[in-house]
Amino acid sequence: MSQQDEERLDQLLRSLAQDYHLPPEPPREEMWKAIQTSRRWYRRPWARPRNPLVWVAAAAAVLIVGVGIGRMSVTNDLPPGSVNWEARGVRTAAYRLTAIEHLSQSEAFLTLFRASAQGGSDERLASATARQLLASNRLLLDSPAAHDRRIRLLLEDLELVLAEIAQLSPQPREKDLELIKEGIERGGVLPRLRTAVPAGTSSTQGVL
Amino acid sequence: MDDRELIGRVLAGDPSAERALYDAHVGRVFRLAYRMAGDLDRTQDYVQETFIRAFQRLGEFRGESALSTWLCSIAISITLNGLRKTRRFREREVALDDAPAVGTTAREAEPDLKDRLSRAIDALPEGYRTVFVMHEVEGYTHEEIAEVLGVQPGTSKAQLFRARARLRVALADFARD
Repeated sequence: MSQQDEERLDQLLRSLAQDYHLPPEPPREEMWKAIQTSRRWYRRPWARPRNPLVWVAAAAAVLIVGVGIGRMSVTNDLPPGSVNWEARGVRTAAYRLTAIEHLSQSEAFLTLFRASAQGGSDERLASATARQLLASNRLLLDSPAAHDRRIRLLLEDLELVLAEIAQLSPQPREKDLELIKEGIERGGVLPRLRTAVPAGTSSTQGVL
Repeated sequence: MDDRELIGRVLAGDPSAERALYDAHVGRVFRLAYRMAGDLDRTQDYVQETFIRAFQRLGEFRGESALSTWLCSIAISITLNGLRKTRRFREREVALDDAPAVGTTAREAEPDLKDRLSRAIDALPEGYRTVFVMHEVEGYTHEEIAEVLGVQPGTSKAQLFRARARLRVALADFARD
């Protein structure tokens, strides 16, 4: 290809590319409302203590409780120091990893569900996926992963949405889909999922 | 009101300053996210997440770059990660094969020139596509792109060069006509 051809093509590219994913007018008010809802949720004192001393106190309390449980769990026939702290750490990390993976999958599923619901996707398959996620969700709610109040509340809200999708009939009414979409948006479920599983965070670096 | 003053007021808890910051930057953030995602619902999610995260971390903004650049770097990171996650999920879940493709819009089987270009841009590797969209479509300079993506300006230029080369191939037969 000659230099002249290349220049012609580059010009053509630039001009045609202006229509690539041409953005509509941003729904400013709608997005602002969602941002405010999510921020209000995180401003609640139990959701995110602002005072660093609260964190220090909480960490200390957890440490005391942990040590207490550890001491109580040492049976008399075991010599002191025989508690397998390493195994405990591994168990906690395993629950955390599972929770991160679950939340990440749920977020991707809800994002896709919301997008595909408009285009008329296969609701039976969506419903089957929701049931699978719902089962994991319930297991996690009963696991140590739900000891974190923020995660527990998120799992509880997620459960409602997943349950609604799981119950979708093969030919759902538009109203049903609208209600589910509203449910996702009402509690700021997606933004909260994304905050719980930060973008780009690998499973081993979660911040739950 | 300049960015520094606005940030100071937001950090002091002034709700009108939060709204002013949002109003000043949402258009640019939205455009960039939409150009990358090509889907309104996903774009809304990414933009909302960008501002939620930006407000949470505003205290960490050191002013080394423009506020708009900082916001765009959050937006692009959230958008690319969101698109990757959705793509991975779709690959795992055959169940949702009928859902719209990630980062693309549904198109006719026989595309015209614009459609052909759109498909070619969609098919670019993520790095090439990001730089191409930012530079050629949204008009960012290589220096801005470098700041947003955390790369050298030379890397941005190289990515653009390669992106153009691939797209020229896709459009070559049209140019001969």
